[in-house]
Amino acid sequence: MNISDEKIREIALNAIKELGDNANQQNVKEVVEETIKKLGNSLPEKSTDMDQVILTSFGLNKPGVIAAITKALSEANCDISDLSQKLMGDFFTMIMIVNTSNSTLSLNEIQNKMKKISDEMKIKIMMQHEEIFKSMHRI
Amino acid sequence: MNYNFEEILETIKMTEIEHFDIRTVTLGISLRDCIDRNVEVSKQKIYDKIIKYGSKHVKYAEEIEANFGISIANKRVSITPISIPFDSYKTDEFIEIAKVLDKAAGEIGIDYLAGYSALVQKGFTNGEMEMINSIPFVLAETKRITASVNVASTKAGINMDAINIMSEKIKQTAELTKDDDSIGCAKLVVFANIPEDNPFVAGAFHGVTEPEAVLNVGISGPGVVLDAIKNAGSVDLQQLAELIKKTVFKTTRAGELIGRKVAEKHGIPFGIIDISLAPTPAKGDSIADILVAMGVEDVGAHGTTAALAMLNDAVKKAGLMASSSVGGMSGAFIPVSEDEGMIKAVERGNLSIEKLEAMTSVCSVGLDMVAVPGDTPATTIAGIIADECAIGVINDKTTSVRIIPAYGKSVGESVDYGGLLGLAPIMAVREISSDRFVKRGGRIPAPMRSLTN
Repeated sequence: MNISDEKIREIALNAIKELGDNANQQNVKEVVEETIKKLGNSLPEKSTDMDQVILTSFGLNKPGVIAAITKALSEANCDISDLSQKLMGDFFTMIMIVNTSNSTLSLNEIQNKMKKISDEMKIKIMMQHEEIFKSMHRI
Repeated sequence: MNYNFEEILETIKMTEIEHFDIRTVTLGISLRDCIDRNVEVSKQKIYDKIIKYGSKHVKYAEEIEANFGISIANKRVSITPISIPFDSYKTDEFIEIAKVLDKAAGEIGIDYLAGYSALVQKGFTNGEMEMINSIPFVLAETKRITASVNVASTKAGINMDAINIMSEKIKQTAELTKDDDSIGCAKLVVFANIPEDNPFVAGAFHGVTEPEAVLNVGISGPGVVLDAIKNAGSVDLQQLAELIKKTVFKTTRAGELIGRKVAEKHGIPFGIIDISLAPTPAKGDSIADILVAMGVEDVGAHGTTAALAMLNDAVKKAGLMASSSVGGMSGAFIPVSEDEGMIKAVERGNLSIEKLEAMTSVCSVGLDMVAVPGDTPATTIAGIIADECAIGVINDKTTSVRIIPAYGKSVGESVDYGGLLGLAPIMAVREISSDRFVKRGGRIPAPMRSLTN
């Protein structure tokens, strides 16, 4: 959780006021730390918004492409909420909606994993947060 | 699925093929609290403040880039017009301040820091005079600092004294940076009606009415509009306007999202989105190509001004529908050196400085990145600036001049900076003199706002 410098200063001033003449560096520090901790606990740790990420992949079709992607996703504890695929001759396009809320990895780390697969399989994989599509295509 | 195949692929096509990117996320920082009688103390305060707010700017922007798969071409910083807080300083002290700014900008990993500016449309304070005198030296001795001076406004009129001084400064800057094709002039803009929240360097600064720190964003995307027009085929102009609007709507929405997310990471307010179509020298990222796709044979043909006016208007309408935080310049930029199509039009002899001036009466900025012969008299440059200011002041719009009198060069040659600044062929200017008019000095009074014919 981020607490601004101003907020910390405000908490410290309050603490000094409360402690009155007893205030010293040590006990003010303790009070401030405790207050910040309490503030942190009163807020939900993670936003309730689902972290939906859209994975787009395209390239020349070959065995194991989808398996490689889904395996990596499941290892990262990501949930595939929707999937759609089109084949045009040898060329495939796949779009997945992936829920990363419960993932142990950050989006960046998942993207790095995909980068590896994309290099190995010589296909293109992109992972973009859903919000970009929402803001561009929905009013 | 919440989104259909076409929608997702459309976005991917924009970012991957059509060069859609966010042109700049610009962090505005107020330096009003950094003044001290001792210049050394001021320098330390400035340095500390820029590091405090700016040290994570590039990192945050890169994280957002990765999250949304949209690249952010430039991460920059703008500051309070430097002449305002430091009005009591002398030229040498201003130069020292500029060097500190340059150092801090390097430290936080940005390529340009804008706001070495003064607002003198009605007159100069002593400090503003000292600061303006320092501009040529600052542009020659620093790498990342850009300067701008506002010399006219609809409310104040046109300060011809300021224009005359700036013309001399432009010439001096060209000479001081002659070894690098007079590159100093590419970092100096003279404005009429300068906006206070413009995120685009070189004219950006953090206005005095802005908050402590703010995040402004400038979108780009000529390539996206170009492809949309090309795919439309032979539709009439209303349908074409509709198409441009639909495209720009989407790019604006993406830009606002990116701006808000970067601001959120900084923990500072999101300011404005500037919806200007901003070209780069990359192929397909050109305003000139859009005008050609609209149907003129080349930029400079009769009809070009009308096409540009329609493009600019459609961009604004779409942007205003898409976001409630539109600000800055918000139009279409027509710099010469930064736009491959414009460069070619000049080289082919189709685009003259006069036609370019006419185009600036309907587009968002002005004569931008125009190179002229090195022996152009200062009074002719003053005439060019005065003309541009007149267009801005009478039409209540922003206009600017970023002109490069390329030292030792003449028509037929060019200046080449590479990168985003590009290549500018030297354009011919009128050889008849403006001398007696501009030398009268004083101020052209503010215009009336009715009977606007």
